[in-house]
Amino acid sequence: MIIKVENLVKRYDGHTALDGLDFGVEAGDVFAFLGPNGAGKTTTIRILTAIIRADSGSVLIGGHDVFKEPAEVKKIINALPESSGYYEWMTGREYLGFFSDLYEGKTSTQDIRALLEAVGLHGKEDHLISSYSRGMKQRLGIARSLINRPKLLFLDEPTNGLDPIGRRDIHDLLIDLNRKHGTTIFLSTHLLDDVNRLCNRIAIINYGKIVRTGELEKMKGKGTIDDIFFTSTEGGTL
Amino acid sequence: MKTAYIMRKEIRESVLTSKGFLWYILTSVILSVLSYLFLTNSELSLLDQGQMLYMIMNFVTALGILIGVVSGSDAIAGEIERGTLEALLLSPASKTEIAAGKLAAALMNWCIIFVISIPYLFVVGKGGQNLLSGIVYLAVLGTLLAVIFSAFSMGLSARIKSMKNSLIVSFLIFLLAGSPIFLSAALRTTWFGRVLDLVNPFADAINTFDSVVVDSQGFSYQTGRIAIICGYAFLSLLFLKRSVSRLEM
Ligand SMILES: Nc1ncnc2c1ncn2[C@@H]1O[C@H](COP(=O)(O)OP(=O)(O)OP(=O)(O)O)[C@@H](O)[C@H]1O
Ligand SMILES: [Mg+2]
Repeated sequence: MIIKVENLVKRYDGHTALDGLDFGVEAGDVFAFLGPNGAGKTTTIRILTAIIRADSGSVLIGGHDVFKEPAEVKKIINALPESSGYYEWMTGREYLGFFSDLYEGKTSTQDIRALLEAVGLHGKEDHLISSYSRGMKQRLGIARSLINRPKLLFLDEPTNGLDPIGRRDIHDLLIDLNRKHGTTIFLSTHLLDDVNRLCNRIAIINYGKIVRTGELEKMKGKGTIDDIFFTSTEGGTL
Repeated sequence: MKTAYIMRKEIRESVLTSKGFLWYILTSVILSVLSYLFLTNSELSLLDQGQMLYMIMNFVTALGILIGVVSGSDAIAGEIERGTLEALLLSPASKTEIAAGKLAAALMNWCIIFVISIPYLFVVGKGGQNLLSGIVYLAVLGTLLAVIFSAFSMGLSARIKSMKNSLIVSFLIFLLAGSPIFLSAALRTTWFGRVLDLVNPFADAINTFDSVVVDSQGFSYQTGRIAIICGYAFLSLLFLKRSVSRLEM
């Protein structure tokens, strides 16, 4: 298992955001993390990527304890945060160059060019980020999250705000990553279309607890994803 | 190394920008006006060289503190507000390395102001016997004060996560520290005034400048005040390190 989460608890001044979370993700999975607004998806991703601390519980990523060895974890993961800002005064190419500099095995300029091409930003790489549209920034964010060739990629609503073509492009890119490079993808999303096209396993979180988890194909026997989502999250969080 | 890359980014973001240049132009305009006044105004020119030099040094130090406070407040809270911090925290750069890079860039601002001030110090202080020691003291104490105020406001901005609020708090502290300039000399010679002067790092710096360039006193007279300033620098760095290490989104 590449992610193993046990009894994870996170409180924000009295409010319990995660209430004893338990789940695992196998290497090679494209794992959908679903749940209503405020269920705790972003909080979970932030803990798993060593951005914030939990109050109790344990998280192993690739065998490393996130709380004790965050530096080891950061080498093998990367993430696209929920609401990411960008250094608007940089060009797309400079932005990726800046982040690649922070890693030990620097990405070559050819690789950066290839990455920009893969996310569909060719022709725009030397424009200032301030001139990018929202979808272009989202693509740049995804390129940044691939800069260290992560084994495990966290995406928090990556297709949010993208047009259907943009969404399809991102889908294709993620499918490619998963099939060709074996990248494990942890995807938080509200778009059940994302889930249907990409994922093989899902977990549904509500009120900071996992309420359903399993293989998508097996779960589908009991109705559409929408049905599963609605029956599992009745009276959902907010 | 990561610290250097972050510093380079910060310098491009906040030092080598039109806003940065505005600071430097403002600095040289004000210094030009001050020097011109000193050298032409018959009443002011009754001041001796040492006193004029002392006043310019105070002004340059205050400016260094001010720019440190402004860039410190923006450093971490600004990244949180613009949503860019999470990506930075995902990188292998540790929080300490990030803070160190940002602090180094903030000090870069001070260095530029110091360099701009050197010709003015020469013009105003030429012929005075304490010019060179004045410049050395300004370089050392000005740098320490820039460290103190940038590190403090940076740590504060990591804690309260709002650029505006940390700027307001740091600016108030800046005014408080600068208040001795406005107090009358008589008030400052009371025991209470002396204690206030001693615990205030800015007052310690300008009293040291006074002692060095006006009264021509040697290093042995300055050690107490310099030790206090060093103590503040150490504490502010500790505060910054603690504040960023517990930084959460
Ligand atoms: N920094 C914070 N301070 C206080 N409460 C927070 C903070 N971040 C999240 N919360 C609370 O924790 C709970 C979980 O939030 P989280 O952002 O993880 O939800 P989510 O599942 O990502 O929701 P969404 O689908 O809207 O993105 C919510 O009740 C939220 O109000
Ligand atoms: Mg969220």
